[in-house]
Amino acid sequence: MLSAQELVWLMAAVAKGDRAAFERLYAATRAKLYGVVLRILRRQDLADEVMQETYLKIWNSAGQFDPALASPITWMVAIARNRAIDLVRKKTEVSIEEESDVFEFAADTPDPLAKREMTEALERLLACMAKLDEERRRLVLFAYYHGWSREQLAARFETPVNTIKTWLRRALRDIRECLDA
Amino acid sequence: MTDDTETPDGLAAEYVLGTLGADERAQAEVLIRDDPGFARLVRGWERRLGELNVMVHPVEPPAGTWEPIQARIGDAAPSIAPHPGEAAPAATAGNVVDLSARLGRWRRAAGGLAALAAVLLGLVATQLFNPAALPGLLRPKPIDIANAPVNPGRFVAVLQQNAASPAFILTVDVATRTASVRRVSAEQPAGKSYELWLVSDRFPGPRSLGLVGATEFARPALANYDPATISGATYAVSLEPEGGSPTGAPTGPVLYAGKLVESVPP
Repeated sequence: MLSAQELVWLMAAVAKGDRAAFERLYAATRAKLYGVVLRILRRQDLADEVMQETYLKIWNSAGQFDPALASPITWMVAIARNRAIDLVRKKTEVSIEEESDVFEFAADTPDPLAKREMTEALERLLACMAKLDEERRRLVLFAYYHGWSREQLAARFETPVNTIKTWLRRALRDIRECLDA
Repeated sequence: MTDDTETPDGLAAEYVLGTLGADERAQAEVLIRDDPGFARLVRGWERRLGELNVMVHPVEPPAGTWEPIQARIGDAAPSIAPHPGEAAPAATAGNVVDLSARLGRWRRAAGGLAALAAVLLGLVATQLFNPAALPGLLRPKPIDIANAPVNPGRFVAVLQQNAASPAFILTVDVATRTASVRRVSAEQPAGKSYELWLVSDRFPGPRSLGLVGATEFARPALANYDPATISGATYAVSLEPEGGSPTGAPTGPVLYAGKLVESVPP
């Protein structure tokens, strides 16, 4: 099992061009990142494409990773999510309902990161999210895990898109106020 | 309506959450590149929301995902200086990169870990880095999409008296029937213990899942319950004499209760 600190060490080696470290970093993080992008893209071919782009970017940008600002996995997941969301926004023809129930995946191997205890930061976030209305909490979680746009959320929640926007912004503001309190 | 949320921070938050359309995403990306203040807001939201990734079930990518990546990194060494337009989301505040400060930070981060890492990398090399060297049964299997079992998901229950005061957080992985519970804000009265109960209409009374320690994670014993019972139950915490209820049923007041909600929506 690799801790965040061990991943930091690998990232430092990757930043210096260490290919073996990069392969180890890939081995330690691929299942987490694939799980994240597959939830958003729901198509294996697109997920494979985003995995390639994501790890290339990680390889090219490892020198910019700052362990004082984020954990390696949070940083890597942010890159992967941004790539995946950019891709689905550009592929509007990909319906969100398409193949919707074929793509429920389960982990088939234990991941070195998966068995980690829930972090204190996650507990604080969940406690703050617990204070939101049930519907707004679901809105934020659907957006995060599926990468849905306001329009997709509006269709799913049968609510006008402007209302969705207001709900999202207020929910996020409430989360911030709660976390910063 | 007059919108008090139409702020740069609101835009940064929605960018990180991922709800913007293509046009607004493009605008946000320009701001990240050109406006250090906005880039800082984005980093703040990545830190706040990024923890949610912990709840995502890992999925092994298909065999053959690594080789194209390996081929594309080619012989070129990665650049320590950022590529223009290739800035990482967490590190885009300044276009001027203070290389010496960055390297110093790396040395500090890396130095303290070197000894541990030297031991660890040997393990990693066999266990993770080279799965093909492992016996067949231990090797990661490529996922079979058509026959993959439905992911039963992870669940979270916030056990509370009211919405403003979550007292315990229970997380449950229904697939493995493992759980952890942690005290968040409840006081620990002297000479008493908190005991966690599973309440289900399938049983005549509450079933004890064990004591919840003062500071440590507790591991509720869920192995004897089936997934439908686990996901449908109410979880409650009562205050008991030190060491737990002497009768096997709650004897003290039930102070906190909650139901599981799916933390990763289906």
